[in-house]
Amino acid sequence: MAKYPDKVNLYDDRGKLFDTNVPIEALSPLKNTAIQKIISYVKQCVAVNLEGVEKALATGEVGGKWCIIRGRSLKLDLVKNAGSVADSLKKCLQVDPGDDTEVKVLKGGKHLLVKVPAKRLNAGVEYTTGVTAVAAALCCTIIENFNVNIWDADLVHAAVWGRYPQTMEMLGGNVSSLLAVPQQNEGMGYALRNIPCAHIALIAKKNAMNAAALSSILEQTAMFEMGDAIGSFERFHLLGLAYQGLNADNIVYDLVKENAKTGTLGDVVISTVKRALSDGVIKPLKKTPSGYTLYTTSDLNKWNAYAAAGLLAGTMITCGAARSMQHAPSVFIYFNDLIERETGLPGVDFGRVAGTGVEMSFFSHSIYGGGNPAVFHGNHIVTRHSKGFTIPCVAAAVALDAGTTIYTPEKISGVVGEVLSEVPELRESLRYVNEAAVSIKGGI
Amino acid sequence: MVDYKPQYYPGGSKIAANRRKYIDPKYTLRKLRTISDDDLVRLMGHRVPGEAYKSVHPPLEELGEPACPIRELVEPTPGAKAGDRIRYIQFTDSVYFAPLTPYMRAWMGHMRYRGVDIGVLSGRVPLEARERDLEKVAKDLVETEIFDPARVGIRGATVHGHALRLDENGLMFDALRRFQYDKNKGEVVYVKDQVGVPLDRPIYVGKPIPEEELRRITSQFRVDGEPFRNDAELIRFVQRIHMLRTEAGFDPNKVKDI
Repeated sequence: MAKYPDKVNLYDDRGKLFDTNVPIEALSPLKNTAIQKIISYVKQCVAVNLEGVEKALATGEVGGKWCIIRGRSLKLDLVKNAGSVADSLKKCLQVDPGDDTEVKVLKGGKHLLVKVPAKRLNAGVEYTTGVTAVAAALCCTIIENFNVNIWDADLVHAAVWGRYPQTMEMLGGNVSSLLAVPQQNEGMGYALRNIPCAHIALIAKKNAMNAAALSSILEQTAMFEMGDAIGSFERFHLLGLAYQGLNADNIVYDLVKENAKTGTLGDVVISTVKRALSDGVIKPLKKTPSGYTLYTTSDLNKWNAYAAAGLLAGTMITCGAARSMQHAPSVFIYFNDLIERETGLPGVDFGRVAGTGVEMSFFSHSIYGGGNPAVFHGNHIVTRHSKGFTIPCVAAAVALDAGTTIYTPEKISGVVGEVLSEVPELRESLRYVNEAAVSIKGGI
Repeated sequence: MVDYKPQYYPGGSKIAANRRKYIDPKYTLRKLRTISDDDLVRLMGHRVPGEAYKSVHPPLEELGEPACPIRELVEPTPGAKAGDRIRYIQFTDSVYFAPLTPYMRAWMGHMRYRGVDIGVLSGRVPLEARERDLEKVAKDLVETEIFDPARVGIRGATVHGHALRLDENGLMFDALRRFQYDKNKGEVVYVKDQVGVPLDRPIYVGKPIPEEELRRITSQFRVDGEPFRNDAELIRFVQRIHMLRTEAGFDPNKVKDI
């Protein structure tokens, strides 16, 4: 039996009805098979920059920019022989013949998308198995396939692993995954939050709805891992994921459509309040002497989810109209300020998104350094405070940018975003999560 | 559904009413002066009047946008369409009854203008937008009642002065002496652009708004004007938000119908 009474209608990224009366638990990371698959893929999928390895070996530039070992070089035609490298790499990584190991050659051999078999990850406790297995297997493959001798093998290691283990992460390496090394996580359960929005936007091929969906899935799944989405707060997060991230009841799409041509951020605030009122989520509490009506709700979790959907729509209108990502933090503060002043009810995540916006403004506008919104993630020191409601909007803003930043998402993401966009479940997460929800809804 | 009319801002005081008025996009800000387009461009200093807009990326039509339902829906602003650079205008509002408080600039700006990026700091409020969009917004911000030539400064850098005493002519302190009081004309005149680069000819921005008028139109609470503490309704509102945020953080399920 369902734990929570809420049922939602599912829509796709273009506002087309997908299914009706789906229990929100069918969208829970604990039950939705597509979300579980996405999380597995995040651990299993690794990008290899074969062209990068070839260049590093040829120039001796290994372990980071400008770090050149003079007199050391190895001319190996890795890109040209990407097919055979991929075959050998697959054999090396496989646990059993015919298991779920995959190696895909991309961009004429410049990149490889590797899926490490689940059995390897299951045999350990750390998600780093993905990158360590691929990096080590790639070294073995190159050494064997190209008959590299004992005196050059170290250069192959450095070209693949980068400066690790002198550095904590694989600095200047050519094997990468979405997940950072555990030492770079700010606290327990932060792994899925440590993924810059640049990666997310590129994986979704800059489709803002899918970027927000993937980001919301990762953020809200992390909430379960962090110990946030449990007990009194589980429904709060499930509703947030459904309404903000997954366009439940088409609220995000409707709000954007309503304000698409001339709407301001303030107009989106007003549309959000109207929608919450017409759906019976909020109601008037009393009139103050000045004539101002205070609103109240008997379901604060649902109000939060509506406001979060409005916040994403507000980001899409403001950053979409300007085709610029830098407006996002301003939206986070003032959407919440305005909606609080419009209703007398707390803003998204009960003030935490507004607070996050204040910090993010400083660190994304060259006031105290920082970077553009594409470098931010849920593990970032200034954007980790909202529990999953800010970063999906940042991801959408990055997706909507037409090229206003010096450091573009492409430059920040390197090969990871581009390579992982080949995984359909990551690229079009909204569709796959909807399909999975429909397939399991009967059993909830 | 219950009848709903946007209300913008709570509070029973005159200051709160002024805030509501400025935030409400249906209220047309009173125009007090005319600054020519060229002079505004010179004041901001991002381009020379008449010069073509520089771009940060090719026009969207040439660029070819990725397949995204939101991009298909959301109409880009003219500046975004053309690929304009993002530029800014920045204001410093004196604490002495200037028409706006820093926060008001953000609340008002986001209600009235599309595609703007507004940041609020204690002594300065930048508004960033695509260059040609910015010029349209800046016109409103400089020509209307929310700009007092004496107590509002257009300052891109070295903004210090919002909390300092006014000078003998009633002007806000400006370390870069961008604006001066022309005693003969009784008007404030800018001799430097917003970052302090000397202008080739001065730009007159009009007479300071009289003190009494400022006290009437300001959105600032002050103990020597209309104190915040006198607006019990607004205080209760702020306390309510604080209470709801805190209690919801403890257990959102327990916050019901209050």
